Amino acid sequence: MKVSRIFGGLVLTALLLAIPWIVPDDYILHLIIYAGFFVMLASGLNLLVGYMGQLSLGHGAFWGLGAYCSALLALKQGWPFWLGLPAGGLLAAVFAILLGRLILKVRGHRFVIITLAFQIIIQLVHYNWIGLTDGQNGLAGVPSPTLEIPGVGKIDFFSKTNFYYLILVFCVITVYVCYRVANSRVGRALEAIRENEPLAESVGVSAFRYSMIAFVLGAFFAGLAGSLYAHYTRYISPDVFDFLHIVEMLTMVLLGGRATILGPVIGALIFTGLPEALRFVPNPFWGLSWAPGHLVTSKALPAELQLMVFGLILLLGVVYMPEGIVPWVRKRFGRRPVAQAGEEAHPE
Amino acid sequence: MELAIQLTVQGLIIGCSYALIAIGLTMIFGLMDIANFAHGEFYVLGSYFAFTVAKMFTLFESVIANYFLGFIVGTFATIGFGVILDRLIFKRLRGEPLLTATMATIGLSIFLANSIQAIWGHWPRQMPSPFGLDPFIWGPVVMPPVRLFVLVVTGLCIAIFHFLLRHTRLGKAVRATFQNRESAALVGIEIDRVYRWSFATGAGMAAIAGIMLATFMPMDPVSGGFATLKAFIVVILGGMGTFVGAIVAGLGLGVMEALGGGFIASDYKDGFGFLFLILFLLFRPQGIFGEE
Repeated sequence: MKVSRIFGGLVLTALLLAIPWIVPDDYILHLIIYAGFFVMLASGLNLLVGYMGQLSLGHGAFWGLGAYCSALLALKQGWPFWLGLPAGGLLAAVFAILLGRLILKVRGHRFVIITLAFQIIIQLVHYNWIGLTDGQNGLAGVPSPTLEIPGVGKIDFFSKTNFYYLILVFCVITVYVCYRVANSRVGRALEAIRENEPLAESVGVSAFRYSMIAFVLGAFFAGLAGSLYAHYTRYISPDVFDFLHIVEMLTMVLLGGRATILGPVIGALIFTGLPEALRFVPNPFWGLSWAPGHLVTSKALPAELQLMVFGLILLLGVVYMPEGIVPWVRKRFGRRPVAQAGEEAHPE
Repeated sequence: MELAIQLTVQGLIIGCSYALIAIGLTMIFGLMDIANFAHGEFYVLGSYFAFTVAKMFTLFESVIANYFLGFIVGTFATIGFGVILDRLIFKRLRGEPLLTATMATIGLSIFLANSIQAIWGHWPRQMPSPFGLDPFIWGPVVMPPVRLFVLVVTGLCIAIFHFLLRHTRLGKAVRATFQNRESAALVGIEIDRVYRWSFATGAGMAAIAGIMLATFMPMDPVSGGFATLKAFIVVILGGMGTFVGAIVAGLGLGVMEALGGGFIASDYKDGFGFLFLILFLLFRPQGIFGEE
């Protein structure tokens, strides 16, 4: 058992390190890097959504804040990436503390709507504060990160292979921290609050305090992911605040398996890959004509049909597989009994 | 001063649509305890159904007759669609945890919004306007007929809704279920029927809002998400689960946005509602009419 786990770990490590040589082309590596951002986002979000059971629709705001903070510092102040990165994370964390003081006592539907309101206010500011963010045009020319190691030389993360290792390191850190937090007093407190908040409070577990820890930690990782994202794509616009991105993150957490460490990671990989896989589906409406003058000429599945499939998967997924993929697979094929991961007490 | 009056009137018109959408949302919310993120899609669907009848079929010579046929067909088609959705999806979501139910309705909203784009195209459409442009003028108030129409129809809708709720058996059943689900079921009220028809009525009201606004604004297939959001703000500001609250907050939000957009900053027009939401949360979390 023990030996097999060590062996498995070694194989996984070797696999992760070898990925740039395994994947056939740059585009797939690009997708894997993209999945890496979402691993960071979904893992952080999982602390609040999975472990504490509070649905936050504002996570994208922290991602965008980190991205804009780091990009602006690099472009306007000439800060190097290695200072902009923690600045992005910290700015997101500060916003989370301020917002958290207002909203973390709220529960249920109000919490859902208010986190979304926060996200939209932040988005509006980024659209309209033209002097700072250049509005809809976005910020172009964000520099790629470089790293000087004395004796080794300069590593430029402009190449996808190098950036893959950078994002891999941050993903591993994020997942490891989330793992430690989830299996600590904090994680247990969050689950206690999820299962029965008055009972948890009555034995001295402060829901406000622990939800703040989860909220701020998630925001910090989202800020870091945002900063990495800005320096990877080298262009950001207020579209990073798009509602669809938040839905994607939540889908990764919920359908991957909330309140599990592996769930958001698997979810991020699947739901970054899904739109790409759908591109190979032929367009069923090709050659048809809706209205006079509107002949469907695209042979690839158009965006709206892709999103229809995504919406349907989300709808059917949460209804028919509420625990998510990872707990479901474990229940089916696992030897170990799973801790009460995705199961929630029904409110009846 | 004249500008303020004019802006207030404009705000009231938009506020009418907020109120109509929010009434349905309040009903689904109070009865099923579901935050329906797909509710704004009814508003869009209604206008596209009406558009199909009024612009694509054009059964009559006159634009007005086509529009009103579209109005009626669009409203009832959306009500029928609401019944179907209730059977297929919302029936299963009742009693599910918040996380599941909310994400399912978000999935549904993405599905519907993109279906609308796949069917009617993703470019904005313009409904042929059945009304003339000569405005009515009362002192400082200048009112094009379209806007008067919106005010009158909204008033009528609310009056009919009030009548149904107060003076019919089903309305009584809805009120009883609103107060206490279990007790209502215990005294023999068919809860599923209450849910189905209140859901469909809410869908129909959102459709009416969409069909009316389409006469003076281009129809945008992706505006459903924003309509949902605005309606949610209204529901929370009004105090979750009160119809009077939804109506007052809806009109109030419309006026506030118009005044704020006119006098403070038009770029942030849509942000005022969200700001109010956060302020209310700080100082009066139960909303205008809510009780804690």
